[in-house]
Amino acid sequence: MTSLSFNLIKNKNKIFGFSTFLILLSLIGILYSTFNTSFKKPINLGMDFIGGNELRIDRSCKEECEFVSPDLVIEELRTFSNNKNVLNNIKLQIQNNNSLISIRTPYLTIEESNDLISNVDKILGPLNYESKNSRIIGPKLGKKLLTNCATSLLVSLFAISLYISIRFDKKYALFALLALFHDLLIVFGIFSWLGVLLSIEVNSLFAVSLLTIAGYSVNDTVVIFDRIRENLKQNSDNYNKTIQISVNESFRRTFFTSITTLIPLITLIIFGSYSLFWFSVSLSLGIIIGSYSSILLAPSFLIKE
Amino acid sequence: MKRRQGWLFFIIFLLTFSIYLLINFPLQLGLDLKGGSQLTLQLVKEDGKVSKEELEAVNAVLDKRVNNLGVAESNLQTLGRDQLILELPGEQNPLSASRILGKTALLEFRTQKESTSSQLNNLQLQRLKINDLIVQFKTGDKRNEETSLLLINNLTEIENDINYSSNNQQLFEKLVETKKYINNEIANLFNKTDLSGKDLINAGRRQEQTNNNWEVSLSFSNEGGEKFAEITKSIAGTDKLLSIVLDGESISEASVGSQFITTGITGGAATISGNFSAENARELEVQLKGGSLPLPIEIVETNTIGPLLGSKNIVKSLYAAICGLIFVGIFMIFNYRILGFVSVISLIFYGFFNLALYSLIPVTLTLPGIAGLILSIGMAVDANVLIFERIREELINGNTLIRSIDSGFQRANSSIIDGHITTFVSCFVLFLLGTNFVKGFAATLGIGVVISLFTSLNCSKTILRFLTTYQSLRQKNLYLSRSTTP
Repeated sequence: MTSLSFNLIKNKNKIFGFSTFLILLSLIGILYSTFNTSFKKPINLGMDFIGGNELRIDRSCKEECEFVSPDLVIEELRTFSNNKNVLNNIKLQIQNNNSLISIRTPYLTIEESNDLISNVDKILGPLNYESKNSRIIGPKLGKKLLTNCATSLLVSLFAISLYISIRFDKKYALFALLALFHDLLIVFGIFSWLGVLLSIEVNSLFAVSLLTIAGYSVNDTVVIFDRIRENLKQNSDNYNKTIQISVNESFRRTFFTSITTLIPLITLIIFGSYSLFWFSVSLSLGIIIGSYSSILLAPSFLIKE
Repeated sequence: MKRRQGWLFFIIFLLTFSIYLLINFPLQLGLDLKGGSQLTLQLVKEDGKVSKEELEAVNAVLDKRVNNLGVAESNLQTLGRDQLILELPGEQNPLSASRILGKTALLEFRTQKESTSSQLNNLQLQRLKINDLIVQFKTGDKRNEETSLLLINNLTEIENDINYSSNNQQLFEKLVETKKYINNEIANLFNKTDLSGKDLINAGRRQEQTNNNWEVSLSFSNEGGEKFAEITKSIAGTDKLLSIVLDGESISEASVGSQFITTGITGGAATISGNFSAENARELEVQLKGGSLPLPIEIVETNTIGPLLGSKNIVKSLYAAICGLIFVGIFMIFNYRILGFVSVISLIFYGFFNLALYSLIPVTLTLPGIAGLILSIGMAVDANVLIFERIREELINGNTLIRSIDSGFQRANSSIIDGHITTFVSCFVLFLLGTNFVKGFAATLGIGVVISLFTSLNCSKTILRFLTTYQSLRQKNLYLSRSTTP
């Protein structure tokens, strides 16, 4: 791996091309999601942001649980209750060998939610209440959470920018931030596409993952810029070449640190609780893209024609 | 060298202290790990912001109510400027808690206005009818079309009489709302007095002797008792009734007999009998004991987790954390040999220090918190990789081992500090602005970042220095992976 030498000067345009392609793809996803979907938002906002009711509960079957068609269950639920708003927007899945029931509905009061559970119990019961997970989020809180997340993102981006511009001179700071926005935009775009194609929703942990990615990506870029600065002090004659050497010198370390951060995240994806699944996925994506942008994209900005 | 040895003892001392802390002060687990209910309560104020005093006042009232609920280890905290979080460990059905907390419980005593008797009689009649319908709805077969049709017809009759129709789609909600409207209308036939829930010193409940219904008893303060006597005196022997109004709804109307015409009802006590069930009576009792809320609140989030799910979450997280550690360890030892071994040891130290700090501060461990911890393992190793790469370069450049180690640590210093600061900034903002859920993540990642500065810069160095005092461990090829050994 030490013998690895990547010709950054020669491949600069390929890198720009690749990044532009990714950004365009993300923008298309965001626009498509905004104008061409039922939710009409840049990204498929989950229950945290729009309110609703989520219920997950295990069936307690003697041996294996028998298959039941979710449509049939919804049909049966209609005979128990006549709350049209809920029953028309109910999403019901039965997973894990027919044993795990997960239900999503619009906002319900605690009373209505209890009713729903007891009705499900009548159809699919007996249920194992020890394994119940029920979340109810009012629409008011959702809006508040959304603004809250947006503010956190903006404030911390501002704080990071401030730190970077104090730490580096303007040019470096600008490029580090460009790389950062590139990373965030692409992760956002990927989740826009996931929302469009697989109806994956984002919740408040997604915003947290974006913030963490921001910190990580800037950190990575800073390390490489540090190296470039250090090498330029010793050898300022051949500017482009020095940058390329610095990048090659940092390659191993960026690759390794990404791997060591990805390993725990992958164990979280595999072993962790379901509520952390998409969080870990978005963090992993962010770290892969962040490493790419710090090692290849950000230094490319510095290369002079 | 002496200074390093001092560090070694210090680190060993810290490790022992951490283990001591962990044994004696076990970690606090969040509800998503041990099961229970969590409610987020939002103060509602139409105009302007909620002031700090108002938040405190609401907190105090709710605290009293929560204590009277009788859930062990319940915990009420303010969140931000206008929210409160209530945790009820072990509670699987937060319905009764939500009912008790959600009501303003503003109790008023009102006297009937002039010549409103016929209006009142009619409204009371309609109330009887609607109560009847509600009982029918609850006991009847909901699937039967005939019964629901009958209910709807009866409801329409009432609606026509009182000239009101609820917009709600659901039949039951319609019934409840109509009842509420009638109670409001009844309350409007009465004049306010200066006696209110503030004049209570206690409330209780008991079963009525004549039937199975419950009644709620009230004891007034001295001043309240006088007011009550005054009010009852003013209407004693007339056809005017006394109404007890809760949150704008009249729940009970009573006449005052002519025997009280000279003194009013004295003794500073009264009872409310309004067809309460045992549970309703208990709820009202708790609400009245706690006093009325200065601002109405709304329950904006409810999260209920079963105990089995909680323990499953713990097991899953443990798997993820341990596997993460093992795989990172294998990766590091494979690539950096002795250096990798050093990083594994300092990672284990890192884990202990983190957990010890959680029990010391204390940090309540939640699922996002564990995610923060696991992620911070990755970031702590980052710092080691930075240092080891530098050491490796120095070694390849032909420097001696000791020199390489020294300058490796020195030269990686600034990058490491930079990286940790940017991550810390993100965590800090998240902690300040985030919700409870997010705060857990920010806290553990933030603490991890700070500890990682210590372990990666100091522990690793000390351990490495300690190991290199052994001649046999000073061979360069123990520090370089095979592919790069010259």
